[in-house]
Amino acid sequence: MSNLAMKNLSDDEIIRSVLKGNSADFIFLVDRYKNKAFSMLKRMLKSTEDAEEVLQDCFMKAYNNLKTFKFESKFSTWFYRIVYNSALTKLSSQKRRIETEMTSVEDHFNLESEYNSAEIEKKDVSELIHVTISKLPERYSAIITMFYLNEMTIDEISEAMGLTISNVKVMLHRSRNALRDLVLKTKLAEEIL
Amino acid sequence: MIQITDEILNKYLDGELSVEEVKQVESALRNSDELRRKFNALKLVHTNLFTITEDEVSDSFTEKLMKQIVKKSTAPKQQKYFIASVVTFITLLCLVIFGFSISAMISATSSSAGNSQSVLDSVSGLSEGLVRMLQQLFSGTGLSIIGSFFSIIVLISGYFFFEMQKRTKANLSNGQRL
Repeated sequence: MSNLAMKNLSDDEIIRSVLKGNSADFIFLVDRYKNKAFSMLKRMLKSTEDAEEVLQDCFMKAYNNLKTFKFESKFSTWFYRIVYNSALTKLSSQKRRIETEMTSVEDHFNLESEYNSAEIEKKDVSELIHVTISKLPERYSAIITMFYLNEMTIDEISEAMGLTISNVKVMLHRSRNALRDLVLKTKLAEEIL
Repeated sequence: MIQITDEILNKYLDGELSVEEVKQVESALRNSDELRRKFNALKLVHTNLFTITEDEVSDSFTEKLMKQIVKKSTAPKQQKYFIASVVTFITLLCLVIFGFSISAMISATSSSAGNSQSVLDSVSGLSEGLVRMLQQLFSGTGLSIIGSFFSIIVLISGYFFFEMQKRTKANLSNGQRL
């Protein structure tokens, strides 16, 4: 089958082809998900090198465990679960704070402490939002990336992260509110809102 | 009348409120500048978050990964081929030895036996010949030759198998470092 035809195949069809022994076809899944998963990892791990290393590991895990994929859920949800758990493992190995273990959904975070007020005032709203996603705690930045960039539903995010739907919603709302509070402090916001 | 909290504003933005609740929120937004400002800021964040762009992995990422995957998928195949070839070789060798023994026995019995010999006699002659042949093979020099031959095969196979395992392990650990 030509490359163009393979690119148009669904994830499930590509997986079936890989399972039949065409291991090189796995490249089509890699090309489909590498940048989105990388964006999520980069925001969670706050390091390009770590993100790329963990992503490589995630694809290897996905390839090695492809036989266990049940075709009941989407490949993307299954794969992002691997990505999310691998990121948590990496953070754990770095002995960094892991929210999953140390904090509950009820905990608060303060993004404003990341900037001084003069700095916030000067910033462009769009740039401020994009930069600040990486400053959110790991799980929150993961939710924002999965919801807005990967266009996953709340149900899919909850499956990928192993959280309840209501917890995912609470965390999504909390992230938006924190970003909104920052936006309200910019000069531009004063003019446009 | 519901209290317009941040949670309600988020639900309103996501279209998760009932018709009645929507009416109440819209009325509250019309009547409060502060609430409207908060909601507009939230909407601005929501809209801007949809414009997040993907970060790109390095150019060599896919190539490195696929090399690892190809190595991983070919290593077990090589092992399977190696084991299959060793087993085939040993089976063929046994078959040759057995065939040779049988043909030797048949020629020995047919030269000594007459045409009038019954089927029972020829079968017993064959089995006697087989026993003699096996006694010769597994006694004295015959046994040491066969033993040495199989020991060498086992040693060579073991060495190659060990080397292959080592190579596979090295490939996997290289892959994890990448």
